[in-house]
Amino acid sequence: MAPTLLLAALLAAPATPATPLIPNSPVGSDSVTVSVAVPPVLGLAKSARRPPIGYRPRHLLLQTGGGVGMVSVGGGLSFARRRLDLDALLGYVPARHAGTTLTIASAKVKYAPWQLPLGGSGLALTPLAVGVYGSYTFGLRNTGEEGQYPDDYYWWSRTIRVGPVLGSSLSYALPDASSGRARRLTAYYELATNDLYGLSYFLNRRALSLSDIATLALGLKLEI
Amino acid sequence: MYQPTSMFSFSSSFLRNALAGVVAISLSACEVLEFSPNDSRAPADQQNLTAKNLARLSAAPLPPGDTLRFVFTGDSQRFYDDVEDMVASVNQQPGVQFMLVAGDISDFGLGREMRWVDDDLRRLKVPYLTVVGNHDHVANGREAYQKIFGPLNYSFVYGDTKFVLIDTNSREYNFNGRVPDVPWLRGQLASLDGARRSVVLSHVPPQDGDFDPTLRADYAGTLRDTPSLVFEMNGHRHDYSVGQPFNDGVTYVNSYAFEKRRYLIVTVFGDKQFRLKQVSF
Repeated sequence: MAPTLLLAALLAAPATPATPLIPNSPVGSDSVTVSVAVPPVLGLAKSARRPPIGYRPRHLLLQTGGGVGMVSVGGGLSFARRRLDLDALLGYVPARHAGTTLTIASAKVKYAPWQLPLGGSGLALTPLAVGVYGSYTFGLRNTGEEGQYPDDYYWWSRTIRVGPVLGSSLSYALPDASSGRARRLTAYYELATNDLYGLSYFLNRRALSLSDIATLALGLKLEI
Repeated sequence: MYQPTSMFSFSSSFLRNALAGVVAISLSACEVLEFSPNDSRAPADQQNLTAKNLARLSAAPLPPGDTLRFVFTGDSQRFYDDVEDMVASVNQQPGVQFMLVAGDISDFGLGREMRWVDDDLRRLKVPYLTVVGNHDHVANGREAYQKIFGPLNYSFVYGDTKFVLIDTNSREYNFNGRVPDVPWLRGQLASLDGARRSVVLSHVPPQDGDFDPTLRADYAGTLRDTPSLVFEMNGHRHDYSVGQPFNDGVTYVNSYAFEKRRYLIVTVFGDKQFRLKQVSF
């Protein structure tokens, strides 16, 4: 049920008109879409004085949970007037919590159609973000050695997980960057699940509930 | 005086409820704040379930000479709806003393799957005991199984019978020649700790391709040389069978998987006599 809803939300979200809910959002402050189209080498060759800013992360991330690390750090880019985020994280799980030390590389794309400024407090609420993530786990104990299993003995990947993400966030305006770009510190949470939990839920709607398959992530995002 | 007292009592009960709510939320948040689906963290009441179920079992001892009766099933895997229904059915069976689950508690080797199965099996009126299956070894499932259930090889005595539960998932160790631990099995069967008959439970049956072929003869020979053995019980094949695959006088009983919506009620009496009753649910 809910994965269906998530999927529906995901499909519907990009079609949502980008309503101008941020009154004071100078268009020039977020030109990443344009810069990213220029290959970095070309950018360097053409103008050595101007750094290829589109390839620098626009924000840094610190996160716990979400199935992608006890602690995860990363960065990301923002597009579409900061409604679309493309994030990459590297997570760590110590051996005492998993038997072996796990390193989890994950990528996530999130779309947040609405940003609601809260009075003149500098706070802004992003009530809903939807997205998808994928992760690859290094360091698992038993993922199969050469010749250990006949073909298709286990049909699923032990290392790759994918799943939907849904969340909200609260941002606080910081002093502008030296480039003049607006900066914010954002606290976010995400509810997610993965392909294997999702399959278990689809096959057992009676015994399993959405809270059974949900994971929670808490994180901070700093625009730089 | 009346008004302030009433206010105080209202606010204190409100505070107490709010505090209980916060505690409940942070407890469930702890679980849901998952580091990895392969992590082995579990709430305290879902750790060491083997030891806890054995403690429950020993609290209702079977007097010597009394008939032994237990439910035998296996391979719960991703069949959670069926687990619910089986619990309802087993809870209506009179005279059953415990349940044995012949491995593959999980499907993908994830701790949360094992806890989902326990969420239902803990509603049984009788304790349940498990042996590790090959799916429980996938990725970091072994650690999750050990944390949530307990040892991979263990034994216990109930009434006149010693149960020996052993990890026979050789393929998960890439046939390293040490699984199953046949010397350990031999030691367990050599001394019955006061019992007069024995039962061995493992997931992969020795005649299966997932059982280490270099240990097959030694394992089957150990069972054949144990006069007290009633039978060996297995899962893995998801269907019921009873027979003597090695034609050596040793009986092997395979369990239904949960998805087959059937289980066995096993009754053991006399020296080594037994009766198998099939129940549909």
